[in-house]
Amino acid sequence: MSVDAQNYAFVKRRRPKPSAKGRTRLAAAALRYCALLTFLAILVIFSTSAPFFLSIFNIGNILGQTAVTGVLAIGLTVVVIAGGPNVVTGGIDLSLAANMGLSAAVYASLLQMGYGDGSAALSALGTGLIIGAVNALAVAQIGIVPLLATLAVMNVVAGLELVLTENTVIPASSDLLTGLSSGALFGIPSLGYVLIGFSLVMGLIIQNTRFGLRLYAVGEFPEAARAAGIPVKAYVSASFLISGFCGGIAGILNTAYLSGSSTGSGEMLLPVVVTALLGSVFSRRLVPTIGGTLLSALFVGVLLNGFQLLNLSSTLVSGVQGVLILLTVSATTLIRRES
Amino acid sequence: MSYRAISENLMALGARSALLAALVIVFSTFALTAPSFLTTGNLQSLLVNNFTLLAVVAVAMTFAVASGGIDLSVGAAIDFASFAFVSLVLAGNPVWLALFAGLGAGALVGLFNALLISGVGLSPFLATLGTLFVGRSIQQLLTNGGNPIYLPQSGIPESFRALGHSTIVGIPLSLLAALALAAVAAFLLGQTRFGRVVIASGVQPDVVRYSGLPLRLYLGGAYILVGLTAAFAGLILTSTVTVYIPNSGNAFLLNAIGAAFIGTTIHPHGRPNVFGTILGVLLLAIVSNGLLLSGLNFYWQQVGTGVLIFLVLALSFATRKTQRG
Repeated sequence: MSVDAQNYAFVKRRRPKPSAKGRTRLAAAALRYCALLTFLAILVIFSTSAPFFLSIFNIGNILGQTAVTGVLAIGLTVVVIAGGPNVVTGGIDLSLAANMGLSAAVYASLLQMGYGDGSAALSALGTGLIIGAVNALAVAQIGIVPLLATLAVMNVVAGLELVLTENTVIPASSDLLTGLSSGALFGIPSLGYVLIGFSLVMGLIIQNTRFGLRLYAVGEFPEAARAAGIPVKAYVSASFLISGFCGGIAGILNTAYLSGSSTGSGEMLLPVVVTALLGSVFSRRLVPTIGGTLLSALFVGVLLNGFQLLNLSSTLVSGVQGVLILLTVSATTLIRRES
Repeated sequence: MSYRAISENLMALGARSALLAALVIVFSTFALTAPSFLTTGNLQSLLVNNFTLLAVVAVAMTFAVASGGIDLSVGAAIDFASFAFVSLVLAGNPVWLALFAGLGAGALVGLFNALLISGVGLSPFLATLGTLFVGRSIQQLLTNGGNPIYLPQSGIPESFRALGHSTIVGIPLSLLAALALAAVAAFLLGQTRFGRVVIASGVQPDVVRYSGLPLRLYLGGAYILVGLTAAFAGLILTSTVTVYIPNSGNAFLLNAIGAAFIGTTIHPHGRPNVFGTILGVLLLAIVSNGLLLSGLNFYWQQVGTGVLIFLVLALSFATRKTQRG
């Protein structure tokens, strides 16, 4: 009835054939961990060239800045896991950034209208869930390709956000927001702890439960999963509901980070997609994982922060980001081809 | 014919005609409700402002989608073509040389993608995403952080202005160029050996490989064509507005993807095709033009467009699925 966990793990743990020469093996290992090594190298470069970089204040800063992208990228990762790695026909949720924008707008507007923290936050999460449900309906029930379905939903959601906010910034303040944005333990803002805690919970669910294992099975071998009796559609729907929920959470976090809802949430889409897709190069088996996505979110966060500290021209940032994406992904693709 | 066969045929027809039905419904709705919609002036503005550029970009996208991938860097090809064109004209070169330089710049962006996808073996999505980011940075470096480059009102060749503003038997040159380009692309993709292999690569890449065909060469060719075709959009855009604005080409990306995929709904097997893409662009153009005339709040227009696209997709995919299973 269910996917045999051990068999599945066996299939997943294919390793490259051990080569005769030790040197090539070493090179292969270096390549395998090249993303992590790159990350480490960058950490070393920044901490030696910008002394302020390693201070606890700055690390807290990075964690806080990364919280919103991180939560969104984790939501996207779940969709990618359940939909398969092919971006065009497989799992993708382009509506996530717009979802975050609308959820933030709902939250901020309700606060401004005088509603309490609890009901406003619940409405924001509900907004995210409804958007996720529409995606789930479109992809799993109607059968629209995820790329297209979520593209259309993204347009609708972005439009609704504009209708609600009239393209203005809605300032918001509440106890929850103050608590989230202010510093907590060790001077690291609560946003950073939320990111770590959220990643832990999601990692536990996706990486360590039967639900998570089946999610991987549905994404990589949908036919086999169906034959084994897994309700594939239900799992795909669940992945979109989870990502919608992440959009709602990110909406609240972003409102806390910026002290209000902001315009232009669509700008977040590409960075979030990059973060989620880059995440798989941080995993040992080169598959999307929650831990890998967290690392990749921190990687991008560290890069942006380091560039700011080094006073590097902002025009170079997207270029360096692009080159890094291409380099890490190329290296990973080359290893995958070897194995 | 049994009842089942008849109903299946009807379903298949429904799936294929969802796009046509949507076009007819949307067109007649606007014709009936917005008095100024059916005027010659408005229809011309619809074709020139809403249709032409998106059609060229969407046709470019169709090559990538047909090969089973996607190209997120069409914006970079548009921008680099525009940049090369404007720079060469400003430097006093003849317009024809600037045109070729623009096309070359677009093809170079395509070649870069082709090397990443066919050479290194990256997934098209990630490769072109990287190109998009790198291209954005290069443009900012070239323009001192993103300053537009204007062409002066005087001192530029008359033939330049003619490209963007002249008409042939009352039809704007840019529209004719877009239609000609679409016709060439339709021929290339639908009637030639090259096109058949590209489409086969999208549907069954392994079969192409087993047939002894150089799959990578065809894929690379498809991405170079995407860059080259998108470059035409950059040239048309620049000759119309006589300015190069860095990183402005990306605005077409999502609509071009949408149009190319909406276009797949008219194909019996749901494959990308240039004719369908053009119909998809027409649908998007009519909706954005008509909603503008309707006087609806600008923000609601975006919601309306999204809902409409969603409905077309839902109708088409729902009927297609029933037919299959």
